[in-house]
Amino acid sequence: MSGLGGLVIAQADYPQAMGTITLAHYLFVSGAMFALGLIGFLTRRNMIIMFLCTELMFQAAGLALIAFSRYHLNHTGQTFVIFVLTVAAAEAAMALALVILLFRKRESLNTEDWTEMSG
Amino acid sequence: MDALISPLVLYSACALGAVGVALALPRKGASWRVPGALLAAIAGGVVILALGLVANASGQLPNVYFYVFSALALGAGLRVITHHRPVYSALYFILTIIASAGLYVILAAEFMAFALIIIYAGAILITYLFVIMLATQAPVEGDDEFQADYDTKAREPALAALAGFVLLAVLTTMMFGGLKSLREPPVQEAAREERLALATSPLKIERVLRDTPRRDDAGEPMHDEHGKPMMMLGPDEEIVRLPPIKGQTMVNFAAENSVLIRMPDNTTRSTNPRDWPEELQVSNVEMVGRNLLADHPGTIEIAGVILLMAMLGATVLSRRQVEIDEAAKAHEARRLHGLDEEGAAA
Repeated sequence: MSGLGGLVIAQADYPQAMGTITLAHYLFVSGAMFALGLIGFLTRRNMIIMFLCTELMFQAAGLALIAFSRYHLNHTGQTFVIFVLTVAAAEAAMALALVILLFRKRESLNTEDWTEMSG
Repeated sequence: MDALISPLVLYSACALGAVGVALALPRKGASWRVPGALLAAIAGGVVILALGLVANASGQLPNVYFYVFSALALGAGLRVITHHRPVYSALYFILTIIASAGLYVILAAEFMAFALIIIYAGAILITYLFVIMLATQAPVEGDDEFQADYDTKAREPALAALAGFVLLAVLTTMMFGGLKSLREPPVQEAAREERLALATSPLKIERVLRDTPRRDDAGEPMHDEHGKPMMMLGPDEEIVRLPPIKGQTMVNFAAENSVLIRMPDNTTRSTNPRDWPEELQVSNVEMVGRNLLADHPGTIEIAGVILLMAMLGATVLSRRQVEIDEAAKAHEARRLHGLDEEGAAA
């Protein structure tokens, strides 16, 4: 039982509180990542890249959730990121199947080839 | 109420970032990618620097790796939306994921960090890469002339960058303003969570004790004849031997942030679970698992249904219809049959 003597843990200061300004750093990074994803979604015309940009926005949301989870020391934030990952996986599967379907019809990934779908 | 950082600095940095990203987006003709990326990096750096000055004044500077990982994440994110080859975009996205996982580790969410790498970088992005390779004509190496027009030219870069960075400016203003109304970091809740997690700790203590060797160095037995452990934590966190215990609870939950341990001579003492030896500590994985299964069991079911539906939907959507009429079928059957006969004759 020699291991019982040591106090080595990965997050030795885990329950220590995080300051609001430290939280602000993470929130800014999260917001900037979300803005990048939004800009990519608006400007790129390749359907696959547009979906990749939505994944970037998911990432930004996940980062904000984890940062708040750390701030409030409440693990529900981390649990919610698990569900964000689930939804992202489901979305990727469906969206990529649709992209494959559309690509087979026109041999193109350009969203502007499908403007008649806007009705 | 004064803002966290000067609005003038924040908004001019947002404007600078918008110009930079708009320049960096793919366009025909002269490439402004490098100056654009530099401008965007300067804008991000200015905001982080301003935040850092405020944080330094109040002693709340984040971990130094925060700067490394967030620079990597945002830089790779910029490259995702500006690279004109989809495969490279996906690869840069994997870099973003890995940098985000680093940020998660800094935020004490180890389980989610590794889950993120395994699920996102390992599964979702590989699916993306496959679809990109299936659905894109391979460009000639080093020759952008043959690239599809929709990859090399962004649609309305200036307007989109304006929209994105107006959103960012509004978001940061709201967030930085709202931070002041947040409760102070709640120490009490930490204690609550800890007590919650420690509800399983007696079992953990039992397990650790059961796994101890049957005899100590001096050859004395450490379990009684019924296999019950005969020792527990002593006052200095060392193992002390106990007289055989008869099903009594060793651990009680008492004052905030502490655990009461009943000693062999029926006295009690309290320890902070944070000071416990490693084997008895509750890890992040256990906490997340407890939260997931105890507080959100219904959500897991819903997530399962969503995944099942997505799988069914993807299968149905991407199934290729094979159209074959009766005559062709008969011809095919005859051909196969003939081949089989030839094979048998040979």
